Amino acid sequence: MKLAFHHRPEVPIEAEVITPEKLAGLSEAEVSALPLQYGNERVPLGEFFRVSGRYEGEILVEGDLSRVKMIGSGMSAGRIVVDGDAGMHLGVGMSGGEIVVKGNAGDWVAPDLSGGRITIHGNAGHLVGSAYRGSAMGIRGGEILIHGNAGNEAGNAMRRGLIAIGGDCGDFGGVNMCAGTLIVLGRLGARCGASMKRGSIVSMQPAPLLPTFGYACRYEPLYLRLYLLHLKRLGMSVGEAHIEGPYRRYSGDAIETNRGEILLLDA
Amino acid sequence: MSEIGQNLRVVEHATCTFCGCVCDDMDLTVDLDAKRITKAKNACTLGRAWFAEHTIEDKPPARIDGKPATTAEAIEAAAQILAGARLPIIYGLSDTTCEAQRQAVAIADLMHGNIDTTTSVCHGPSGIAFQGVGESTATLGEIKNRADLVIYWGGNPAESHPRHFTRYAVTPKGMYIPNGRKDRYVVLADVRRTPSAPVADLFLLVKPGRDFELLWALRALVKGRKIDPSIEESTGIPLATLETLVERMKSCRYGVLFFGMGLTMTRGRHFNSGAILALATDLNEYTHFVAKPVRGHGNVTGADNVVSWQTGYPFGVNFSRGYPRFNPGEFTTVDLLSRGEADAALIIASDPGSNFPKRAIEHLKRIPVIVLDAKDTDTTELARVAFRTATYGINTTGTVYRMDDVPITLRPAFDSPFPGDEEVLTALKDRLRVLLNEKRGGALRKAA
Repeated sequence: MKLAFHHRPEVPIEAEVITPEKLAGLSEAEVSALPLQYGNERVPLGEFFRVSGRYEGEILVEGDLSRVKMIGSGMSAGRIVVDGDAGMHLGVGMSGGEIVVKGNAGDWVAPDLSGGRITIHGNAGHLVGSAYRGSAMGIRGGEILIHGNAGNEAGNAMRRGLIAIGGDCGDFGGVNMCAGTLIVLGRLGARCGASMKRGSIVSMQPAPLLPTFGYACRYEPLYLRLYLLHLKRLGMSVGEAHIEGPYRRYSGDAIETNRGEILLLDA
Repeated sequence: MSEIGQNLRVVEHATCTFCGCVCDDMDLTVDLDAKRITKAKNACTLGRAWFAEHTIEDKPPARIDGKPATTAEAIEAAAQILAGARLPIIYGLSDTTCEAQRQAVAIADLMHGNIDTTTSVCHGPSGIAFQGVGESTATLGEIKNRADLVIYWGGNPAESHPRHFTRYAVTPKGMYIPNGRKDRYVVLADVRRTPSAPVADLFLLVKPGRDFELLWALRALVKGRKIDPSIEESTGIPLATLETLVERMKSCRYGVLFFGMGLTMTRGRHFNSGAILALATDLNEYTHFVAKPVRGHGNVTGADNVVSWQTGYPFGVNFSRGYPRFNPGEFTTVDLLSRGEADAALIIASDPGSNFPKRAIEHLKRIPVIVLDAKDTDTTELARVAFRTATYGINTTGTVYRMDDVPITLRPAFDSPFPGDEEVLTALKDRLRVLLNEKRGGALRKAA
């Protein structure tokens, strides 16, 4: 199925209907009649998208969708390809399936993710795989791969799962992290891992650390090798030196349980 | 209130609504003929200027596209704009009464729009932190009577809240602080030596942008963790100073951390606020410790309270789907405008046209803007519809919240020929209700 976005909206659109569960089994006319939240009004999907074909496992969405929020909301299976930029809340509440964005993504990529995989070929905004304000827990599973850079608070309060960032990451990466893995091939911003309880934050570059992180040892973690080989297979630019290590391990956050770790490649 | 002459009147126990201190011990001498306040006893320099400058100007009550209009015409024009908008936003609200704020929330709800207050550009991050960390709090009265350790972080009250020191926290004698200043130890942390610095017994000159690291080190020391002496290099404060301060914090009888925009609006924002709130919480293991944001505008605390009790969230609330949703960054005004998303704006008692980022102001110039203000501002200049309203506290009564969430009733000094914000907003709401009923009724029939 192809959805071609044909004109730019004046105000953002919330398109939680663009998800395999909602589109499966519907005709082109039925899909065109599904409601989009356009500001404070409900408009039919056909007003902004040209629909062609029926859903057979993949939805191709074309155009500049930077003002279209909540694509892939709650999806549990299937595949969405966004040929262009995607707006905020991409894959919110996703539990399975795959979303691929060929351009950039807005803020809040995959909040409440519990399974499946999201790949962004460009950059992502702030709060990738992070908890919403007022929520104690971020993503609980699944994989988020950002080939470009990500903004602040990537993996805020994440509980499980993998977030990999090919470029640099903003401030407070892995803040309040409970568990899971955040791998940054570029640079970490300031104050990464603040208040982390457990979990791993990995970077291939030197990083400024908080005073509550202490040096533990220099070693070659076996699990990291498996993660990095996995990311390499998925097309991320993981080098041989990254896989070989060694890494300097810092444990923290001492204000919390001191059982989290930051691993920095010791090249 | 007492009459002292034919044209002079003294309003006793009036309230100054200039800053978040909301001092309610003003004695105002009012010249009723000239419609101006000639003397404001007990007011600070900022308060004196506030009272002296709010006179009745010979200006039309409203303007539409720059041309004079009546209030009724302007209400009709404003209602038409808002009724036709897809993402109308309401912003401001910190310099008006709670009664007017209530009407603004009702309008946002009615038109399925977005409502945000100036909190989002001052202590909004603290609002996020309250939600995440919690707040150990107290009234300023309790602090005056009990606090023997007073810490100011990232603020300059001597210039921004001149009576904060003398009326609430540093010099006044209290029930358990019989000798006033002598019984208190005062600490000030800031990135530069401001005019507030001389009041402090200990001044911490923090390297710019390193407040979070320093607060984190203090938290670690309170919890008995080791901190490397290199903390001096990264934050500018020697480890020994921090250790002494932590001992003092743990051994005081009642401590308070006041924090300002030096924390909330610098790198780290809500995490900076969260760090200082968490520090207060940590210290409660040893003694009584509270943390309070020092709020700027007269009724910004009221805006937080009213928006919270009406929508469940303090600022950045969106009603597009008919129910309130909160998401700072998505529904906060600077972000909405900078991304060019709103298609109409209702600005109440605030001047984003002069203090917002350039991209946000450029978008404000592209969309129809409705402004309610007592004065001409950069925002009224760019407005499609501008109402001139009475000044709260000087011309209208109502309720405002002091920075410690204590509500205070206003005693106005003299009447204004201009309507109050509440009056204009109520009329706007009523007209909007009629227009939206017509619009939605029509839409419903079409759908059927």
